[in-house]
Order: sequence, then structure tokens, then C-alpha cells
Amino acid sequence: MITFTINDQKVTAGKGWTVLETAREYGIEIPTLCHHPAVKPSGACRLCMVELKDGDWSKLVASCIYPVAEGINIYTETPRVHNVRRWILEMLLASCPASPEISALAEAHGVISTRFKIHDPSQNCMICGLCQRICEEVVGLSAIAVVDRGVHKKVGSPFMRPTDVCVACGCCLTVCPTGAMQNIFDTVRGEPKMPLTQLAM
Amino acid sequence: MMTDTKIGVFLCKCGNEIAPMIDLPRLYSTIQPEADYCEILSYPCLQPGLEKILSAAAANRLNRIIIAGCEGRTMLKKFETALEPIDILKGQIDMVNLRSHVASVSDKSPLEKAGKAAKLILASIAEMRVLKATEQKRADIDGPVVVLGDGISSFPAVQKLTESRIKCILSVPETDPDNIIRNLHLSYPGERSHYDRLKTMIKDTLESEYLTVFEHSRLTALVGVTGNYTLTFTHRNGQNETVKAGAIIAALDAELSPPGPEFGYDGASVLIQSEMEEHISQNGTPKGQVVFWISDYEYGTPEHAGLSAKNAWSMAMHMKACSSETNIMIFHNEKMAVPLTGSERAVNRKAGIAWIPYDNAVRPSVQDGYITFCNLRDHVEHELAWDFLVLSPKRGISGEAKTTARILGLIHRETPFLTGHHAKVRPEMIGREETYLAGSARYPCDLQEALNQGRKAGIRNVEMIDKSKAAQLLVPRIVCVVDPHKCVACGQCQELCDCGGIGIEMSSGGLPRIVDPMLCTGGGTCAAACPYGALVLQNNSTDQKEARIGSLSRQMEPDEVVAMACVWGGLPAADNAHRRKLTYDARTHILGIPCVGQIDPAVMAKAFLEGAPGLLLIGCLPEECHHSYGIDHAWNRVNLIKKLFELCGFDRRRIAIAHADMNKPEEFVKTVDSFNALIAALGPIPKTQANLDNLASIYQLCKYNTRIRTLLSVALRRPWEKTYRGDQRHALEFDRDFTAAIEEEFDFAESALNEPAYYRYA
Repeated sequence: MITFTINDQKVTAGKGWTVLETAREYGIEIPTLCHHPAVKPSGACRLCMVELKDGDWSKLVASCIYPVAEGINIYTETPRVHNVRRWILEMLLASCPASPEISALAEAHGVISTRFKIHDPSQNCMICGLCQRICEEVVGLSAIAVVDRGVHKKVGSPFMRPTDVCVACGCCLTVCPTGAMQNIFDTVRGEPKMPLTQLAM
Repeated sequence: MMTDTKIGVFLCKCGNEIAPMIDLPRLYSTIQPEADYCEILSYPCLQPGLEKILSAAAANRLNRIIIAGCEGRTMLKKFETALEPIDILKGQIDMVNLRSHVASVSDKSPLEKAGKAAKLILASIAEMRVLKATEQKRADIDGPVVVLGDGISSFPAVQKLTESRIKCILSVPETDPDNIIRNLHLSYPGERSHYDRLKTMIKDTLESEYLTVFEHSRLTALVGVTGNYTLTFTHRNGQNETVKAGAIIAALDAELSPPGPEFGYDGASVLIQSEMEEHISQNGTPKGQVVFWISDYEYGTPEHAGLSAKNAWSMAMHMKACSSETNIMIFHNEKMAVPLTGSERAVNRKAGIAWIPYDNAVRPSVQDGYITFCNLRDHVEHELAWDFLVLSPKRGISGEAKTTARILGLIHRETPFLTGHHAKVRPEMIGREETYLAGSARYPCDLQEALNQGRKAGIRNVEMIDKSKAAQLLVPRIVCVVDPHKCVACGQCQELCDCGGIGIEMSSGGLPRIVDPMLCTGGGTCAAACPYGALVLQNNSTDQKEARIGSLSRQMEPDEVVAMACVWGGLPAADNAHRRKLTYDARTHILGIPCVGQIDPAVMAKAFLEGAPGLLLIGCLPEECHHSYGIDHAWNRVNLIKKLFELCGFDRRRIAIAHADMNKPEEFVKTVDSFNALIAALGPIPKTQANLDNLASIYQLCKYNTRIRTLLSVALRRPWEKTYRGDQRHALEFDRDFTAAIEEEFDFAESALNEPAYYRYA
């Protein structure tokens, strides 16, 4: 058993647990976006940042991928943590302004506007890659991937065309934290032969 | 080994997603007496939670686990992986989605939600109680691999297998490498540059000590399943020989044939590519004007134009290299993109081969020595002079390849090629690839691609055999099994299933009575269609579904609805309704099922027998079933129940089938809301003795009446039938006959209600 503290509360954890898992076990909430229990954590969105203090020295770590260690002191609600969360949310507001989930989360943390330039007002994908990870780790396929690099990076199927690899299980759709998959989904699985709207007519 | 069923139920708080919405302590007090173990966990899915489940399971000797939390579609695999070491396997773990189907869909009080959650969990417990869990089976694949067919891809497949010291039997019409190469252009024209290398490869392959060759033999019969096939070959002298094999690779090539006379084809000066190549090898490169017409658009198969153009170009390059007096043009539809890379274009310019596009709107016409076409730029009819006009070949599967494919069970429907990819399911649901099929009969391709496919088929087989030797090749747990004491080998299942999973048994005289567990995708529509109840989907049987729906229906209030939602359509739509924070009628009680096609009519009847006022089956969109037309089959079964309802004076609308698109949860909300409103208006079926008797008779008839069950199976859509059930032939006539049969049998069922054994033929 590993003993350490979260917000000065003494907690015990098992070998191989992460800080986030331990905190959740003790009912301490840490906001996350790209974390999903079905897949391995990847630490992509950095929203789960917490402060690790050691005397007068401290650093910020991503709690979803930070393994627990004996005697560490974790703080989840310090000004430094709040500051970095707000920064991240402000950046997310600029990179995926069309996502209602992101706007709601930002508002809950007191972020209502962004100082960064919005390049694409219709963008709602934050490119966390959760859809890709679930497709690979849970479904066992690679129908969806993060393609291109840098500022052109986006989520889609090879050549942005419907792919035979996709079995249309909808896992990506269900786990997407920003709701962006709704728009991408039909390009991956292909339009249904008889869509619902036609049936309604 | 029979052990007592011990069920553990774990209720998830899921942070603030479930705990504040549902009164969990209340739920715990309802569930705890019904289960062998019950616990509330904050996050069962995270490492601390998993460790708690594992220790609770070990301490209480649990062998069934129910996790009431979120959607099993994404989370079940994690629990299965975690619980596998303590022998709680797939099928023994169930998930009830409290978060998406109870907590967030309505504004009811936590107490009311706890009531709804309890109903769903109790139904799951009822299912787990009747589950007959099977042991994990391993697939044993050893013995020789048979490589069949006259396709060129058989050689690289054999090469890969013999390199790994796996015994092979190769059945080919010809074993002389020179003759094989000599005839190769008949299937793959314009590939001359590869011939030398290929010849060496064929020679090397045939020399292997692990190879047995059958020359001039035909495959005439196949029985058995993966790992244990028996093949019968008829040799040229008329003698039969049977061989045992662990696996089969089919290497089949498409046949190239000339078009009709409407393209001016005469076989001498107007010919197809393969004949031109024959002409070159016989008489040398022709001199004069040669026009390659890429006529695939005019054949109605534009998808093959690129391949034909590429072949034409490499033939043209060869002819240019051999003769300076040949002038070549490639004449193609403007819609086709020239399939050359940048460097190839440079080579093409140097060789002086002209690519001439023509207007798609005006079909070129062939005249003696000329071909007229409409020019794109000036819309004037131009003429192109030719001494030889080379047309694209028509592509299809020949009689010989078709016969082999049919014996191997590769033809499920009438498609021009053998691509027939039927099931769209997760890879873990299938034990192995559908077929090891290589060559252009699969889909038209060039020589390189065909050889690659052969290589790939060989490598896949080697991997599979290695895995089997290391005892790691597992049989999927949810597959069909046949009860040989009940099966009469009527063949309904084999006709309906298009995963090729129904095999033919040796001892029964070649009748379809066994299931190949490595091919079965667990769709289960075949099991639901079996007139004699001989086919059982193990670990997910009809008995289990009856128990689950029965338990849920018993708990239904007069205005509540049972909805069975398929995991590919209705269930994700319901899950996504939660993601988008939609609300719908809280009276809907959703049961997740793998496919609506596996719902036996007896399960539907059971719901009403146990008191459900309405049953809604929510499947995929039409033509989108991930298994074998499950939604169409469910339609027929629902229709049966409707007819029986009419006979008994119940409202036909109490049972309905619906389509859902997972990306349109707002439509799903409309579906359930409208059905709920309807059932609320109808009220429950009054519980008079006459009604209860009628419901019991309906259940008896659906479950045991072999005549009705046979009529039902016969009417189900076959994989080769092209259309959705709407335009079946003689729709009304069949429907009337079916109704008459049901009326007749229903009278029997009524009179024999007290002796149900009468109907149990088993």
C-alpha cells in the first residue's frame, strides 16, 4: 500500500494506480476531457492538472497519467491549478468554439471568453484522439485516426472517405467529449443507404 | 462440472453522474436480497474499483458479475479482461446502463429512478441465473493446408506456408512453370515484365518438400469445419481421393471475356487485351495503328477502367519497345483519370503514346478501320484510324472458379465477384477471417495485387496455425451450437446465415448440422429461425432472453414499455441521447441485445405472457444489419405476433419494430415517445382468464409449433434476395396463407393448452 496525501487528506493507493484514480476513489473530483476508463490514459488535454508539492518546491502534473508514489503531496484546488485550468479552457474555447460541452465546462470554471484568435468558428473537435484510442484498444480496429500535422491536424478516416474497416459500432461517437464525432461519424462509416429522414417522409 | 450460480451486483456511483440522480442506498436494499453479493462502488471501472470487484468475487466465489453503471459497448471489454484471470468469462459479465438509460433521461425523483433501475437489474439477475456458461474452448488447427483453384496467387500462398514448414496440398490444373506463364496473360494481360521473376518463384515453390501437388483434379465435395475439413477430389482418371485438412485457401482468378458485336468485336482485328497479347506472342508485335479503347464505361463497369487502362499502357510500352513501326493510342472516357504517376507520364511522353479522351455523352461507334468519337474541346465528331482495335475485357467469374467457390461456401449472393463481405462486427466476434480468398475473382486486380493477396493469405494461415500450436487460438464464446438430437437437417439455418458458419457434417451424409465456431459471428438469427429449437446461441441463448424479458415484464406497470434495442442501432442511439442531454419517456425500459434478429418469437410472446403491455424492438436502419438481415427477420417475427394478437382480439399495435440511427438520437426520442404514448393510451391487456389462456397459447405456438416456425423461417429473407421485405413476390397471397395456417394451429394450441408436451417434438 502506498500512502500519500491529496488536499492534505491522507489516502492509500495500490500499486499502479494513478493520482486521478486515487482521487476519484476518495470522492475528490478532478475535471477531465480526454480521459475515459475504457482506454489507457494519454494525458492529451491537460485539464486534469494537479499540483505536486514538496516543501517550498512544487510542480504541475497531469493526474490521469501520474503514478502514485509514497509520501507525495497532491493539491487539486490551488490557485496555480485553477489558473492553469482556466488557461487550458480559454485555449480550448478558441480551438473548438462550436462545442457546447466545452463552453459549458469553461463557464463552470468561470471562463466565458477567450483572448486567443478563433481560426474556425465552426470547429468543435479538440483533437484529443480519444476516438482513435477507443477504436484501437476496445474495438480492435483502426478505422479512425488523427491525420496531418501541426495546425492542419484533424480527425478522420484515411483520405477522409468512408472506410470498410469501420464496423459502425459507434464507440467513438459515445465517448467523444466535445460532440465533434457527430459531424465526422458519417464520413467514417459512410452515409446509411436508407437514412431515417427519408423513412419519415 | 456444475457449480452453483453466484451473482455479484456492483452499483456504480460514477462521480456525480449516477449517485445524486438515483437513490443508491434504496436500490441496494432492493437488489441485495436477490443477489449473492451487492456493493456500491464509486468507480468500478477504475483500478481501485476493479481491485475491489476482484477481491469480492474471490471472497464470495462469484461466477456471474453484473455491473450497473454505464454503457457496456465501451466498458464491457475492460471488465472482461480484468475478470478473465479468475475464470469469469465473456457472457458471465453483464452491464446495465443506469447512467444513460435511467439517471439522465428524465426528471423523475431519485426514488422513482431507483425503482426503474431495480427492475432492469433484477431482469439481468434473472438472465444470469439461467445462463449455462460454457468452458473456454481452444481451436485446434493443424494438418495440411489445402490451396485450391487455378489462380496464380496459389503459388505465393504455398510459398509462405512451406517456408514455415507447414504441409501443403496444392491443387492446380498445370504444374509446368513454362505453361503456367505461357497462359498467364489470359487472366492478367500486360504484365510481361514480371514473368521472369514469377517463373523462378513458381519453380522454387513447386520444389518444396512440404508440398503435395494434385494435378488436373477437381474439388467435388467439402465437409467439416475449420481445423477439421475433409475434401474430396476427383482425379482425371475418375478416381476419388479424400484428404484431411486444417485450413483451406482459395486462389481463384476472374475470367476475361470479349464483349458482344455491338463493340465491333470480331476476334481478329477488333479484339480484347488478352487476345492482343496472344497475338503478339504468336505473330510478334503488329505494325501500324493500334488503338486501345478503354471501353469499361460502356460495359457499365467504370470501376475497372483504371485497371484496364494500366494494363493497356504496359502492353503499349512493351509494343513500342519491340517495334518502331507501331503507332499506339489509348482512347478513353473523359471521366476516367489517367492512371499514371508523374514519372510514368514522362516515360509515356518519350514513348509517344497518345491518350485521347472522348465525350462521355456520345458513345463512340466502331466502323471498319475507324472509330468515331465526339471531341471534348470542339464538340465535332472526329475519326480515329486503326489497324487493330483493342477493347477492354469483360470481367467475371468463370464456371470452374464458380463451382469451386460454391463448394467452399464462398457464394452467398449473386454478386459479380466474391467480395461478399457480409458481417460488420468487431474482430473479436469472429474466430478467423471469413475466407482465405486471393486472386482477381475476389475483385479485379493486377498481377502484383493478386500475388500480394496470395502471400497475405499464406501468412495469415501461418499465424493462425502458430497460434493454435501455442494453444492461444480461442473459439469465440458467443457462437451457435447444434443439438444433434433435435436437428432434422432441414437446412433453414444454412440458407439464412451468410457468415458461412453452418458446416456440413460427415457422418450425417453431408447434411448441414454443425457450426463452424471460427466463422460464426454470433448473429443468432439462424438460431431464432430453427423450427425445432435445435440451434442454440451459447452463452446468449433464447432461454436467457426469455428469463430476462419475463422478469422485466412481470415488473411492468400498466403503462410501461419494454424496448429491446440492438447494440448496433437502438442501443447506441439511446446512449447518445444521454450524451446530448436529451430526455425521453421514463416509462421506456431498454434491454440491450446483440441483434434484433436473434429475438425468437417465443421471447416476444413471453413478454406479453408475463404482463408487458407493449414491446418495441429497435434495430438498425433498413439494409444496415451488421449480421444477416436481422432486422428483416425480426419484422417477420413481429408480424407473426401481430397476426396472433388479431386472432385473440388484442391490439396489433402493442408490438412494433423501429429503426434507429445512432447518430440521430433525437429521432430515437421520437420513436420511444410515440410508442409510449400509444401504449399508455391502449392500457394493459386485461388480466381475464380468457386473455391469459390466449397469451399462453400464443407463447406455446411460437415456441413449439414446428409448422408455424417452419413457415416463418421459409419466409425469411435470404442473403441472395435483393430487396427489403416490402416487395416480396405474391405478398398478399403468402400473407393470407400464413394467416390461415396460424388460425388452424392456434385452434390446436388452444385446445391442447393443458398438454403442452404434445407440442414438444424434441
